[in-house]
Amino acid sequence: MSVEAQRTRPGAMDLPLNANDQSAPLWWGMILLILIEVVLFTGLIVSYFYLRFYAPEWPLGGISRPDLLLPSISAVLLFASSAPMYWADSSIKKGNVRNLKIGLILSLLLGIAFLVLKGIEYFGYDYNWATNAYGSITWTIAGFHSAHVISVCLKVAVVFTAATAGYFSEERNLGVRINGLYWHFVVVIWVPLFFTLYLSHYVF
Amino acid sequence: MTDSAIRPYVTRDTRATALAALTAVDHKTIGLRWIITAFAFFIGAGLLALTMVTQLMQPGLNVLSMEAYNQFFTMHGMTMMFFFAVPIMLGLGIYFVPLMIGAREVAFPRLNAFGYWVYAFSGIALWIALLMGRAPDAGWFNYTPLSGPVYSPGINVDLYALSISFLEFANLVAAVILIITIFKMRAPGMSINRMPVFVWSILVVAWMIVFAMPPLMLATIMLALDRIVGTHFFRIPGGGSSHLWQHLFWFFGHPEVYIIAIPAFGMVSTILPTFSRRRLVGYLPVVLSQVIIGITSFGLWVHHMFAGELSVLAMTFFAASSMSIAIPSGVQVFAWIATIWTGTKLRLTAAFYWAVGFIPLFVIGGITGVMVSAPPFDWQVHDTHFVTAHFHYVLLGGSVFPLIGMLYYWFPKMTGRMLNEKLGKLSFWLTFVGFNIAFFTMHYTGFHGMPRRVHTYMEGLGWGGPMLITWIGAMIVGAGFAVTLVNVFISQASGEPAGDNPWEAGTLEWATTSPPARHNFDSIPAVVSRNPLWYALEQDADATPAAYELPDNDRMTMGTSTLDGEPEQRLLVSDASIQPLVMAIGGTVAFYGALVSLWLVPFGASIAFVSIVMWNWPGRNREKEQS
Repeated sequence: MSVEAQRTRPGAMDLPLNANDQSAPLWWGMILLILIEVVLFTGLIVSYFYLRFYAPEWPLGGISRPDLLLPSISAVLLFASSAPMYWADSSIKKGNVRNLKIGLILSLLLGIAFLVLKGIEYFGYDYNWATNAYGSITWTIAGFHSAHVISVCLKVAVVFTAATAGYFSEERNLGVRINGLYWHFVVVIWVPLFFTLYLSHYVF
Repeated sequence: MTDSAIRPYVTRDTRATALAALTAVDHKTIGLRWIITAFAFFIGAGLLALTMVTQLMQPGLNVLSMEAYNQFFTMHGMTMMFFFAVPIMLGLGIYFVPLMIGAREVAFPRLNAFGYWVYAFSGIALWIALLMGRAPDAGWFNYTPLSGPVYSPGINVDLYALSISFLEFANLVAAVILIITIFKMRAPGMSINRMPVFVWSILVVAWMIVFAMPPLMLATIMLALDRIVGTHFFRIPGGGSSHLWQHLFWFFGHPEVYIIAIPAFGMVSTILPTFSRRRLVGYLPVVLSQVIIGITSFGLWVHHMFAGELSVLAMTFFAASSMSIAIPSGVQVFAWIATIWTGTKLRLTAAFYWAVGFIPLFVIGGITGVMVSAPPFDWQVHDTHFVTAHFHYVLLGGSVFPLIGMLYYWFPKMTGRMLNEKLGKLSFWLTFVGFNIAFFTMHYTGFHGMPRRVHTYMEGLGWGGPMLITWIGAMIVGAGFAVTLVNVFISQASGEPAGDNPWEAGTLEWATTSPPARHNFDSIPAVVSRNPLWYALEQDADATPAAYELPDNDRMTMGTSTLDGEPEQRLLVSDASIQPLVMAIGGTVAFYGALVSLWLVPFGASIAFVSIVMWNWPGRNREKEQS
């Protein structure tokens, strides 16, 4: 009746402990978190265009369409931040903790630069979230994305501290790599958001 | 079979201290908490319903004030949908999925504990508000502009927006945990086509939550922003759109119905084969039907908005897609009937009664569902008791009946004691008869124009008589559920000992003791069939696969490949921790603090941040990369 009355076999202890690759539950967890975030951002983009296509004019209330220069500079900085993160990931796969830390710091600085420029841009506008629906959706999208940049920067700071404490090595670095994966997500999601918030005014 | 020693009701942790209770992470402890909490909300929301039907029993009554009535129907709907129906399914999944797939834990035990705390805190906050007379009062789907700052000033709807967006963390966390547990932690040999149907249904529902809950979270956060910081998403004068709320809400809201119903299909597909003594007829079509319903449910949401402003094309599309749901639902109904029909030696237990009783109720609810999916018909009955009757047949008949059946089925596994069969059948007959008296009558009152959500009505409209019949039926339903409640209390103290496998069922949760030990299985079972325990009975002892030895003192379980269930790795299960509770408290401060001062939002978020860093900080032992 019961399976436990059955024979048993050894061998399970030969399996690796907590695989350091994409079969790890942690890797799957990050993929699913990113998927949930993609659905959230998609909802924001759909809401933007829903409001836009029912609006008599866009932007509403005589607000001028956004200038592209400053947003483009900050976007380039954000996109550039993925490179040192990639370098950091591949460094720790070879066991190089020093380059890992340098890569993390470079990405962190670029992320902070992006946030500063976003702040300058948005607090320079003469409208805010309470002005009208255009202000609400643009401030919310930008604010929501900036909140992601802040949180991923905090995450990098934590990973940096753990790296300093010597927790990562050639054999054990999944924590670094899922952090990198999330960083790349926060960068890449800015592509459709940048199109929505800025370029779409000039396209249609 | 009945000789195993009865363990205490709660066997989780040997240290029975308050700290152990607050730091517990075992999936059985957490799952049981979800289940008990959800049933507590079910009882509360049921009492609200009985009070409302008493108010409506005769014209012109004043049992409840208008304000109280608004809060009662809103809280009834919210509690049943958000705090009972989805959580009970997730709770059963958290408790039973690891047992059914031969694992010792879920994927992220601490995250699992965090999810429970979030669920409990958000539900309790709402019920405290109800006791203080400040509960949400704009309906469970909370349409703007009624729920906006102009027409609903006051804290009531703020609590709706914040509680629902906070609650969704719990649902999403549980969904992610269940997906990864099912994909990565099945017993060796349990390829994806050997998974129990209940596990399939939980997998489908978890994926649906991943896609359905974020839009709801977004909508409730946007509403909270409209109400608290003055944005204009749903406020028409500022260029917002009240239709946007409806789209976002129902893009979640329609899948929500199937998030509740699909696990119930899985339950029926579990109970019927066990008591019909045969394999489920049509495993593949039943599983595929559930997957198809899961996917199609995302293309139906606009049928809730037929009474709004829509193009003919949109109405035609959504009417057709809504009707198409009847096909995969019908496939399952025929599979269940065939399973009973071709069964050998049917055993007519209470669990079997509840599962069989589900079939006609679900079919009636399905037929009225096809009726209301036709726009011209929908316009006639929109917002009447006909719709109320329809969705109670689907939700109460189609979901709660299998759920109570599952309670009778799994109670012995959870407690080591059998529920009383006679009381179970009495409870079934009371509920079944009372349910039909109450809700079938509501089709009639709906046809005669009785709207939903009215505080009272005038004499001479012809509704008083049928409403009295509905009241009688509702009271019988209440008595029926009360019998099961009494049964649970009596049986957990003095029920018959259950033994490991009282029903002679075929799935793995019955291979361990009742209640299961902390580590679930002494060795990790290996699987070569869909019903491993039946397979073991049918084959020679030598033909059944040997289980894998794995020490349990290290909190270790096995990780297998996603499709084939080949052994890949050993997984360390994380230990108890206080951080999930601290982080949930931080989140509570951040969300509800917004009502007091916006500065509490970053404050609460800081608590949560510190807590999550401590929670995930690489530990002294090998559990580093398990959260």
